[in-house]
Amino acid sequence: MFVRDIIKGPVIAIASETTLEDAYRTMQEKRIRHLPILESGRLVGVVTDRDLRLATSALSPTPFPPGARVAEVMSRSPRTADPWDPVEESARTMRELKIGCLPVLEDDRLIGIITGIDLLDALIQMTGVDKPTSRLEVRLSDRPGELARLTSFMSHRDLNIHSILTYPEGKSVVRAVLRVNSIDNHSLAQALRRDEFEVLWPPEKPCLR
Amino acid sequence: MPSVIYHPAYQTYAFGAEHPFSPLRIEMLLELLGVLGHPVQTVAPEPATRNDILTVHDEEYVRRVEALSVGEEVPDSENFGLGTPDNPVFPGMDLAARWLVGGTLHAARLVCENKEKRVLQLGGGLHHARRKSASGFCIYNDLAVAIRYLAQQGLWVAYLDIDVHHSDGVQEILYNDEHVLTISLHESGQYLFPGTGEIHELGTGGGRGLKLNLPLEPFTEGESYLEVFEKILPVALQRFGPGVLLVQAGADAHYSDPLADLMLTTRDYEQIFRRILEYADLYTNGRVIFTLGGGYSLVAVPRVWAILYLLINNLPIVHDLPADWVLKWSQRLGQKLPATLHDPNPGYPDLPRRTEISHHNRREADRLLEATSRFWY
Repeated sequence: MFVRDIIKGPVIAIASETTLEDAYRTMQEKRIRHLPILESGRLVGVVTDRDLRLATSALSPTPFPPGARVAEVMSRSPRTADPWDPVEESARTMRELKIGCLPVLEDDRLIGIITGIDLLDALIQMTGVDKPTSRLEVRLSDRPGELARLTSFMSHRDLNIHSILTYPEGKSVVRAVLRVNSIDNHSLAQALRRDEFEVLWPPEKPCLR
Repeated sequence: MPSVIYHPAYQTYAFGAEHPFSPLRIEMLLELLGVLGHPVQTVAPEPATRNDILTVHDEEYVRRVEALSVGEEVPDSENFGLGTPDNPVFPGMDLAARWLVGGTLHAARLVCENKEKRVLQLGGGLHHARRKSASGFCIYNDLAVAIRYLAQQGLWVAYLDIDVHHSDGVQEILYNDEHVLTISLHESGQYLFPGTGEIHELGTGGGRGLKLNLPLEPFTEGESYLEVFEKILPVALQRFGPGVLLVQAGADAHYSDPLADLMLTTRDYEQIFRRILEYADLYTNGRVIFTLGGGYSLVAVPRVWAILYLLINNLPIVHDLPADWVLKWSQRLGQKLPATLHDPNPGYPDLPRRTEISHHNRREADRLLEATSRFWY
């Protein structure tokens, strides 16, 4: 999944001469929190709703008046993303710099912006339910062939894996979370256990059959 | 006397001997009621017509069911949920599925034409079938077809689904319908199929606030289930003011069910069914239609539905099961059936986290009422 897959157009940007008041109104009307700032069509900065609130706060020793220009309070030369960046790389950048958005540039032209919300959408898309499926959680040894063993098990039962996600859990173990197109993931779990997989969900029912 | 809708052709809706959605369930039930001294007098429906099916399903999907039904190759069948391990193709599946829809539709007509107040459809409840896809053992959505019909006749319909799985198909088809209240209590979709049925799924457009979902924690027991049931149902029914109540009475929330993790006993089911009949008397002038649904523990399902049958008919809940029936089916299934209509007590060992689970469910029920209340006044 690339940045170009999750940006939503058209991007709303403002000119650097825009007043704080107008920038604030744009954010309110469009229900957004981040505005890229353009000068002669080129990206020069980013202003957030937090920038505006802090700049104009009565608690600030030198608050800006509502008529001040955004150029005075924006972050200059913001970090940007390329449309062909993988989304996880953008997520890492935003996390490390503790910033809430990345304007997206293609040949120096602003073509979009991604925010934390877009990354949440990406997460939901990667893990979420958009087809009727059951969830299965399996603990695997962190060595070659383990995941293949799991997926070929599904394939032999003619099951379709709708999504699969693995993440490290401790040193030598990974956890695999799958969504599978079957209502009966309990008998699937039992069959996996018989094949010596460690199935974390669904659990065995603690009762008499 | 309440009508019971059934036709032997229902038994043709069968995915194969190993498949959990087994016609044996009905065979066992009918036989049990017979040996209990209540041979079931059934009313035979007609199969639903193609046009009936098209009131809720897309033609491109129906065409594929028809083609597979007569053995034609359909290369993209899996895109329509057909030919999967859950929904294998079988000859005559189109007609078999239309028989079940026809039964639920017949039940709806009897109530709508004031010929009957209480109806039990001994089949159907195929709540996962989507507009253009089979899913979770369900080919055609008999419930949605019946609801559409009732709504077109000017009735406001309340739909209650106590199957352990979320009624995602019914919800999808009626998500924006302002004349239909849907209420689904199910094990949380966090883990269980189909994965949906969260509280925030409240409907769209005119249907906003009329699609209620109460996801319950895995290993929820009867006491907690009944508590939230009684919290939600009367409020929702009183506010909506339906003309008829349609109930999908799946029996797979039973503790012995192999496909899910709720822990209801037959005694809990008796209480739930009694409540539903009371609510129907209070809020829909007694008009209530029951269909069957999921339920995959052959040890439990015939007993749960026998209790439903006895209650609907105001018959006494017997204690012992006829020994012949128990012996015959224990041998045939290779599983020991209990000698009593109700489960042994206790049916299963004490579970950990009971208090946390009840807390969680209570909080979810409160959240659901809070989320819907702003749409209702």
